[in-house]
Amino acid sequence: MNKSLKEKLESTFKGLRIAVPEESRIAVSAESDNVLAILRFLKDAGFNHLALLSAVDWIEDNVFELCFILTSYMQNDDEVTGRQSLHIILKTKIPRKEPQFKTATGIFPNAEPYEREIHELFGIKFEGHKRLIPLLLERNYEIPPFRKDFDTRKYVKEVFDKIPSVEIEEK
Amino acid sequence: MRELELYFGPQHLGMVGNFSITLKVEGDRILEAQANPGYLHRGFEKLMEYRTWIQNFPLVCRINVVEPDHIEMIYAMAVEKLAQIEVPERAHFVRSIYLELARVGSHLFGLWAYANMLGFDTVAQWAMYHRDLILDLFEELTGGRVYHIYIWPGGVRRDFPPGFKDKIVNTLHSIGGCVPDYDSTFFNNRLFYERANGIGQLTREQAKQWGATGQTLRATGMKFDIRKVEPYAAYDKVDWDVPVREDGDAYSRVWVIRDEMIESVHMIFKLLDDMPEGPVYNRIPNPFKWKVPKGDAYVRCESSRGELGLYMVSNGEDKPYRVHFRTPSYPNGLITLEKLLENASIADVGNIMISLYVVAPEIDR
Repeated sequence: MNKSLKEKLESTFKGLRIAVPEESRIAVSAESDNVLAILRFLKDAGFNHLALLSAVDWIEDNVFELCFILTSYMQNDDEVTGRQSLHIILKTKIPRKEPQFKTATGIFPNAEPYEREIHELFGIKFEGHKRLIPLLLERNYEIPPFRKDFDTRKYVKEVFDKIPSVEIEEK
Repeated sequence: MRELELYFGPQHLGMVGNFSITLKVEGDRILEAQANPGYLHRGFEKLMEYRTWIQNFPLVCRINVVEPDHIEMIYAMAVEKLAQIEVPERAHFVRSIYLELARVGSHLFGLWAYANMLGFDTVAQWAMYHRDLILDLFEELTGGRVYHIYIWPGGVRRDFPPGFKDKIVNTLHSIGGCVPDYDSTFFNNRLFYERANGIGQLTREQAKQWGATGQTLRATGMKFDIRKVEPYAAYDKVDWDVPVREDGDAYSRVWVIRDEMIESVHMIFKLLDDMPEGPVYNRIPNPFKWKVPKGDAYVRCESSRGELGLYMVSNGEDKPYRVHFRTPSYPNGLITLEKLLENASIADVGNIMISLYVVAPEIDR
């Protein structure tokens, strides 16, 4: 099944790099313009479970990598086929300067909180997302905190060392 | 009628844990709900980038207080996959038994939360006591009651101590002996049925669309369990079944949890019988100088709440480059909860939230 899916993907979309590093995994690298169409195609092909949407900061290459992990639910309610153990990892790179991407919530509604989280922690803006409001953090950061140039230890020292320690009076 | 904004949690009797919901209500009816996580955001994924592969073990288990064991397992699985470490046969069995014990403990904790919230205090106390018996087992095996740090890349930290097998059997028998009591006071109780039946109704299509896994999905009739569809540890070595229900409401979800506990206990007995002899861990390279090869991996396991996944990237250094956990409470608590609360009544908020089995620390990480 891996092979037929690989061939189908290659014939439908141009400029894909597809690797099958192991039997249960297909790694697809695509141009950012193609990603939504590929997601739609894969969903129609039965990969209807967006398990995770993640981002990686490759600071040396000056890009962010968005990573969609797709698996599939069962076709029938209790029939386990080889298909459920297959993971598709779809990756795309976007420039690190003013990063922007189109929202995938139209295809997978459960991408909504993942996109909110990535927007908050990496500063990647998702066009068309209905509520890109903060999810987890309470402070404002100059650099979004999950980027590689944000130094947690330095930040902790700068911010929390300023808080004066509590003096205990002796009676 | 006038629209009001109502803050539900984090300090509220119906709220368990560090989580809050902002409700827009008209009378008793909820028009719109917005989940607010972040009260326990510790940034583990970022902190892990500063620690070596082994140093991360005491860190990962703190992501979910209720069931740290599955998170240890998933992290060990990801490291094993990236570094291509083999696990001995006996370790697979030990891991499965350990994880199933953790599942029973976690379900009992969940049962405590649910029964407590609905006012079934007696059942809640029983569940907490029985969970304590399982914690005693963990204490003897690992030295820790809540956080165990027992699973290790290449196996587990130590083998079962002498006589431990009998202790597991005795403990599980004494818990199993109380199932009729639980049934008559809680699961088959008319009061509980009236309170939970039809609450938080979810169809299978909705569950699939909102990324639900675990009980939330299985209560709608789909036998989707990672232990079956992508077996890890020793789950494919014994015969067991996935409990399901058809209705998709809070009552079904709780019954799936109950059946799952019983199935887990049976599975532990089978695993104990079939357990082979042999070593329980393979040696790993010197942890102080250990560099894991370049690459990325997505691994997943079935925690007591659903699909627990981990996406990990290594760039060939002694620390992980990027770690991202996919926790089952994340879609349940942030999407399904918000959607199910629409048009519900205020009295059902806690009921719906706990029946979805949401654990806030897992969402925040």
